[in-house]
Amino acid sequence: MLLQLKGISKRFGGLIAVNDVSFSIGEGEIVGLIGPNGAGKTTLMNLISGSLKPDAGTIGFNGHTISGEEPHRICRRGISRTYQIPRPFPDMTTLLNVSVGVFCGKKRSHMSLGDAMLDASHCLEFVGLFGKRNMLARDLSLFELRALELARALATTPRLILIDEVMAGLNQAESRRAIRLIRKVVEEYHVTIVWIEHVMKIIMEATQRVEVLHYGEIIASGSPHAVINDSQVVEAYLGEKIA
Amino acid sequence: MVRIEHKRALLVVRIGDKKFEWPIETRYWRNPLLGIVCLALLPIVFSGQPDLISLFATANIYACIAIPLGWQMTGIGRLNFGPQFFVGIGGYTAALISVHFGWGPWETLPVAVCAGLVFGVMFSPLTTIAKGLYFSLVTLILPLIFLEVTYYFRVFQGETGLYGITPLVMVDNIKTEYLITGFLSLLMLIIFLFVVHKVLTSRIGLFAAAINDDEEVANNLGLNIKRWKILCFVATSVMISVTGWFAAHYFGTFAGVTYLQLPFMLKILLMVMIGGRGDIYGAIYGAYFVVILEKLLTVFGTVHYILFPLILMILLFTLPEGLYGIYRRHRYREYYPTIRVRKR
Repeated sequence: MLLQLKGISKRFGGLIAVNDVSFSIGEGEIVGLIGPNGAGKTTLMNLISGSLKPDAGTIGFNGHTISGEEPHRICRRGISRTYQIPRPFPDMTTLLNVSVGVFCGKKRSHMSLGDAMLDASHCLEFVGLFGKRNMLARDLSLFELRALELARALATTPRLILIDEVMAGLNQAESRRAIRLIRKVVEEYHVTIVWIEHVMKIIMEATQRVEVLHYGEIIASGSPHAVINDSQVVEAYLGEKIA
Repeated sequence: MVRIEHKRALLVVRIGDKKFEWPIETRYWRNPLLGIVCLALLPIVFSGQPDLISLFATANIYACIAIPLGWQMTGIGRLNFGPQFFVGIGGYTAALISVHFGWGPWETLPVAVCAGLVFGVMFSPLTTIAKGLYFSLVTLILPLIFLEVTYYFRVFQGETGLYGITPLVMVDNIKTEYLITGFLSLLMLIIFLFVVHKVLTSRIGLFAAAINDDEEVANNLGLNIKRWKILCFVATSVMISVTGWFAAHYFGTFAGVTYLQLPFMLKILLMVMIGGRGDIYGAIYGAYFVVILEKLLTVFGTVHYILFPLILMILLFTLPEGLYGIYRRHRYREYYPTIRVRKR
């Protein structure tokens, strides 16, 4: 198993955001993480990436315990992420944004800035942003920002990418492009993906397995079709059965 | 063996096996070599007027505080309201050793560097511990505490300060002495500019930009922000201490009332902001602008104490990106740090 969560809990004062969450993810899987707003999905993602420290439980990645480690160390181990609301470095160009990921993702003490920018160019070309490499990140459209985040995550040469609601705010055409891009990432980079998403159609099409969070707890786990037919999930999240 | 080659817009210097390249900026208005040549001509042009050469040296000293400060504010992502604390560290170290032991400037220099290093390391945890505005508040208070220490302990000679500090150079002709020290101040400026430019155009500059823009994201991308913030703070503190050392030996006297109070801090911060919000070349424009403006306003008598900060505040509102921002509008794609007031 690549990623193992055992009994992970996190509370903010009196609010229990994540409560005794345990699941495992194998290498090469695309796992969806769904749940209503406030279920604790992004908190769980922050716990895995190291932005937050769990109050209880352990997170194991590739045989190492990473719970409690600094985020930069977790990234160096091979976990990268995107953000629900895109967070580029706004005053830097697209190319420099990705160059930061190239330098910092792995120990590359002898790499020059020029070499890093060359590597970054490859990542940008992969996501289709090479033509906008000299544009400031703050001038990009929403889809381009999402592509930039993906390129920056790929630049760190991860084994696991945490994708947080990549479809939010995209129209149908952009959503289809985003799915094709993520499929291309999986095929060419052989990464494992944990994907938070609200768009059920995407989850049904793109993921192999789904974990459902509700009030910080896992209430269902399994294939997308099995999950959407689970009565607890229907009650908590979906509202009515999808045929 | 040293060989110098000129290839179109590139100057190549070969020293033995090593090759160093220096791109020649063909646009004259932003050519640093041309700028340095112009600055170097100033003391020669004004060689008969020691007061103007003193003004020139003062502007260079101020620029040598503003240049590392610009790097520091980007590299730690926080506003430092007390860079003059390290001017005081370097200046008082040089002054105390020179006055009490008779050491010359080149002997007090390594001691001033060590003092800057020790205090830089001592206060560097502030960059990682002090969140949001607290870093700015603590750095605002540090020089004021230092000032009170200089009043309390007699060794610092209180308001009078330390005098009789060995000068940088001693020649018989006073005008020649002013000229040489003016060029020494320019040399210090060039060295600082070269070092900071090389740093900021390397991976370290990229890390500094990432930390300034969004340190949480930089951390999640694998950047050890604590290490780079501490390194940046310590390196820039040492540089500012060296400026304090220079000021002590240049003026022959060093008093906390001149350097550690809020008006001096205001001047430095305004140089950084008016020159171009953390831009290192803009800091030179800012330093000369502030020094010349201050000198011109003295013709109005004591009212210049009110006029000077008032004019600078008006400029801050009318030129939000500083003087360098006027040029910067044509170079939109270059990295331009945003000085942020962080809540966390």
